[in-house]
Amino acid sequence: MTLLKQSMAIQGIGCVGGFGSGNDQFVSALKAGHTSATTVELNHPAGQQTLPALLANTDRLTDFVSRRSLRRIDHFSRMALLGGYLAIEDAGLAVEDCGRIGIIVASGYGATNTTFNFLGSIIDDGDSCASPTSFSNSVHNVAAAYLSMQLQALGPNLTISQFDLSINAALHNAACWLAQRRVDTVLVGGVDEHSSLLNYCYQRYFANSDAVEQIDPFDFARQSAVVGEGAAFLVLSRHADKAKYGFIAGLDAGDFSQRSTVEDSDLLLIGADGHQTCGAMYEQLPTAQSLLNCTPCYGSLPVGQAFDLAAAGLMLREQSCYGVARQQPVGCSAQSSFDSIASLKCTANDQFSLIRLSRRGGDDA
Amino acid sequence: MANSVCVTGMGCLCAAGDTLDEAVTSMMAGERHAGDPSLFKSSQPQLFPVFAVRSLVPKAAEDVFLRTSQLALNAAKQAVEQSQWDLTELRKLKVGVCIGTTVGCTMDVESFYGDYRNGQDPEMLAIDCFVESNPATVISRHFGLNGPCQTIVNACSSGTDAIGMGAMWIENGLCDVVLAGGADELCRTTYNGFASLQINAAVLSRPFSADRCGLNLGEGAAVLILESETVRQQRQHVVAQGYVLGYGSGTDGWHLTAPHPEGRGLKQALQEALDRSGVEPDQLAFVNTHGTGTKDNDRVESLVLAELLPSTPFHSTKGYTGHALGAAGALEAAFCLAFLRQRQIPASAGFTGQDPEFSVTPVVENSAVVGDIALSESLAFGGNNAVLILARGEMA
Repeated sequence: MTLLKQSMAIQGIGCVGGFGSGNDQFVSALKAGHTSATTVELNHPAGQQTLPALLANTDRLTDFVSRRSLRRIDHFSRMALLGGYLAIEDAGLAVEDCGRIGIIVASGYGATNTTFNFLGSIIDDGDSCASPTSFSNSVHNVAAAYLSMQLQALGPNLTISQFDLSINAALHNAACWLAQRRVDTVLVGGVDEHSSLLNYCYQRYFANSDAVEQIDPFDFARQSAVVGEGAAFLVLSRHADKAKYGFIAGLDAGDFSQRSTVEDSDLLLIGADGHQTCGAMYEQLPTAQSLLNCTPCYGSLPVGQAFDLAAAGLMLREQSCYGVARQQPVGCSAQSSFDSIASLKCTANDQFSLIRLSRRGGDDA
Repeated sequence: MANSVCVTGMGCLCAAGDTLDEAVTSMMAGERHAGDPSLFKSSQPQLFPVFAVRSLVPKAAEDVFLRTSQLALNAAKQAVEQSQWDLTELRKLKVGVCIGTTVGCTMDVESFYGDYRNGQDPEMLAIDCFVESNPATVISRHFGLNGPCQTIVNACSSGTDAIGMGAMWIENGLCDVVLAGGADELCRTTYNGFASLQINAAVLSRPFSADRCGLNLGEGAAVLILESETVRQQRQHVVAQGYVLGYGSGTDGWHLTAPHPEGRGLKQALQEALDRSGVEPDQLAFVNTHGTGTKDNDRVESLVLAELLPSTPFHSTKGYTGHALGAAGALEAAFCLAFLRQRQIPASAGFTGQDPEFSVTPVVENSAVVGDIALSESLAFGGNNAVLILARGEMA
């Protein structure tokens, strides 16, 4: 684990997903241990099929952005905007305070539906009738652009695409910005969306899997992924006194087989999201280790680790364990407290991302 | 800067050449290798010229990757070779990879999507290829590296941002060495997309000219080997090709595809890069502009240059390479270091005459430059602006 020279204070959390929007609804889902999936239809040559999915509703965004401004903004960017605004609000920041914040958006797939709409406009109407609106809204950094425009956040602005490791990558950059004092505050998060084509991919890749209603995160040998979508954002500050949810104190990533990290956090929150291909890595974790999982609450999506960080921050603050436990975690008894939570995400190609959250920052982290 | 960032290797391929030396020689000769699209078909009523890489021949094992990643890997191999790193030794260090792209991370699988929409049952090869082709991952895996690895998708400033962030990883002690750059391929999606925005030129582009009428798309890749000066000094036999002195960025917060009319974000990026590097404007030998040839881009860049760097020579190399999107900033960073080395910059290709609205003029012929430091700037959709300040190799 690479401990950060300067840990990053978590000042605010905002999220939207199949569970609803905002921290209260997220915590409700975490306490319940799951979110009930919606059934989506898959049009397929083999016939009509249905798949479960955890889909996000962004109606609440009109609390922050006028309907007029939202006219041309697609679902992907709306999720990012809602997650971002909720995090900013939770951090106690006014929009007027955002002029010099940095923004980093991570996304595994980008604005896929708008990309497909653009391709559809070419297929339907020919090359010369391609939709300019769809094209300009399909660019990968579109969500970060809308965040900067709506918040008038004119500081550094990055979009990262590294599939399941996107969040870890984004945090590396946030840590650099804060350490170099390019900015005092960074809004960093992840967003990914559901699409009908993604359903088709699920159907093709996992055709032989049993039908599932929700993710079974600790049955590592079983394919039980349920598609999720949404956005989860953190407001990170370099000022320790802003730490409402503890600190991000360490980052690590690389080949799982070569990892040197011995994770000694009080709790380990694993991102096992029902994908059998990643299960073998989680299976290698010590059986005595207390494991938690929150994926049944938000579903399977590349930036799922952003939701785990949000959950970890909320748990640290409340000193309560949420989600699904493999066994009763040591740190979760009523009498004991826990000081650190690590979030572990493993990928289908034997990579891992480990992010450590701590109640204390600085040298104590 | 906390830790000085040295460049020990540069790899590059674009329409102007398959190596950096070839590209620089070609540009100095004024060559513009554009043509009709050959990598894909188009039913546009009028074809727009593009700048394609002429001789990319990937190894069989690399056929599984998107062309973007093949380009990136080719550039990375060139760069590693020039840096003289023994891979066994390199793997003992914390080595990151930071690559900018646009196409390389976009699921623009047109035929697959078309088949799916038409009720067919398309095979998953296109999706497999997309999933396997993240450019940073491809490079990191090829060389067996185990440091931070990420692909930046900041539209047309991606390559500049990737080099800037790679340099920051070194400054902050996160990495000893970083392979940083950008890559992008020509593809139907961007070709039709830029056409839909009516900013593809039907003729060769004319950056900063009064009669400029849009951009030409290009493709390519460039990768720089960045290393901390501490690491480089342990390899005294290795020549420093240059230094990254500063990086700045700023966001317009204005429009998805048009720059802020007064260049708000670009000014901020310029100022931050100058402040962080400690470089004064009069130390700059030249500016490599984004210079795409679109009405808006060139107007804003001219405005900002006139205000902040009125006496610094500037040019655009897009007339030689086309606009290679996520690769552009990386290509131009490599060009800057090569031009500093030979103390000469090529003419701004395609310039046909002064725009009366502009109070600055690009260099119109190959020109000697005085000084050891250059500035390269990139503007992007989404309102992203990024600036690098680079120094020639011999300078400590």
